[in-house]
Amino acid sequence: MDSPYWNPRTETLPREDLRALQLAKLRTVSRWAAERSPHYRKAFADAGFSPDQLRTWDDLRRIPMLTRDAWMAGQAASPPYGELPVAGADRAIRLHTTSGTSGAEPLRALDSRKDWVWTSEMWCYGLWAQGVRPDDVGYVAFGYGSFIGFWGLHYALEKIGALTIPGGAQPTESRVRQIVDFGATVVASTPTYALRLAQEATALGIDLAASKVSKVVLSGEPAGSIPETKALIEKLWGAKAYDTAGMTEVSTIVMFECSKQPGGAHVIEDHLIEEVVDPETGEPVGYGEMGERVVTSFGRSMIPLLRYRTADLVVKVPHDRCTCGRGFDLYEGGILGRVDDMKLVRGTNVYPRAIEGIVRGFAEIVEFQIRITREGIRDEIALVVELAEGTPWDPIAERLGRELAASHEGLRFNVEQAPSGSLPRFELKARRLQDLRTAPIGAGSVS
Amino acid sequence: MSPDLNSRDLIGRELTRVESELLGVYTSLRALAASPDLPPCAVAGVRASLAHMAVLVSSLGLAFEHLLDEGV
Repeated sequence: MDSPYWNPRTETLPREDLRALQLAKLRTVSRWAAERSPHYRKAFADAGFSPDQLRTWDDLRRIPMLTRDAWMAGQAASPPYGELPVAGADRAIRLHTTSGTSGAEPLRALDSRKDWVWTSEMWCYGLWAQGVRPDDVGYVAFGYGSFIGFWGLHYALEKIGALTIPGGAQPTESRVRQIVDFGATVVASTPTYALRLAQEATALGIDLAASKVSKVVLSGEPAGSIPETKALIEKLWGAKAYDTAGMTEVSTIVMFECSKQPGGAHVIEDHLIEEVVDPETGEPVGYGEMGERVVTSFGRSMIPLLRYRTADLVVKVPHDRCTCGRGFDLYEGGILGRVDDMKLVRGTNVYPRAIEGIVRGFAEIVEFQIRITREGIRDEIALVVELAEGTPWDPIAERLGRELAASHEGLRFNVEQAPSGSLPRFELKARRLQDLRTAPIGAGSVS
Repeated sequence: MSPDLNSRDLIGRELTRVESELLGVYTSLRALAASPDLPPCAVAGVRASLAHMAVLVSSLGLAFEHLLDEGV
């Protein structure tokens, strides 16, 4: 049976039925957490919450929220896995961690057999919606380390029945050659690394746009939904680029862009509840308003995840914004940033996503970095860029400075050129913002 | 929530014949996983199959439960 939906039964459910399904699963997961997780047993008692109170949809808000800080505090107090797991590691078959790119202690997450099957199932929703089918050849440009990254996508490709090529542990040049030589039709990577692969191909004299690749599946960074970044990837690859987003705390993706590409990503609502709240008050915000994602997952049995504050900024819009027929609501523009992403420079709000949107309008820029410093009492912001060889600097610098100022209330950026190959390259999550204002002189704290 | 073969799905809809059959496979595997007589190769195979069927019946909204106690 060919279908545009991986799971037609629930992807096209009326909203009322979808809510009923979510509530039924929520009751089960809440009881599971209350009975078995030391963290939830205490958190529920402290909040005066009992799963029996989940009678209507609005009762969801009785459940106390979970923060990353609480998770990490539990991990520190009860190493190595903390107080969330419902059982010991002997019941798990996998251990993964967060990427560790922020320099903080990585979060550790355990999965059972069923948890792991669920991880790939969520990726199947996304890949199928993007048109991936059994006759595809999928190339996973990913390091296959302890970071959960594209592991779930790998197993989803296998589950769909596509030929799956693990592109781990090798240089970028080798990956480019394998993508072409093995006839990959689908490539999965971070947005940053998709651009890096394309740059490498150009250096090798390989035209990726002439390859068999028709889809690039992006994840791991908000850049997958920045229109300028996506457009550049699509141009360089001659393929459609599809955004997805997830997190280690859930183990997999929570949203995917479908083939209609309506400018947003559908939330997998038959397996998750996604709320959007005011980051300051924790109160819900309505459709069309920006707020913080709060996720409840029905997938993991080892680590129940109830009302987890993600710190991701999103804008939810109704499902009928898209014409694909799914009943799943969307996040317009995917993940728009992080609650703590915004920087204040001389009274002006600066968002890394907005800067990247401008930078990606310059195909000549190979890599970039944003540096914020303090000179006396005055904050300075610099955009440091590497250009493709042979590109004249002055016209680029002038136009960049003008566009950055125009989009930031006249804030003047110092636009600087970096020597070729001097800026860091990224395979996982890119960290291109350096806020050096609070660091001791000479120390480079990466935020 | 344990599946009830004679009943409805998680939102109260009647099961189709195919859905009943899928739920039956799931229930059979669940029972098999509890069997003390299985050799290691069967334990692993049944548990792996049960994991897939558990996710399937959850995706279809037929049943939903966690199975750590069954080794899954």
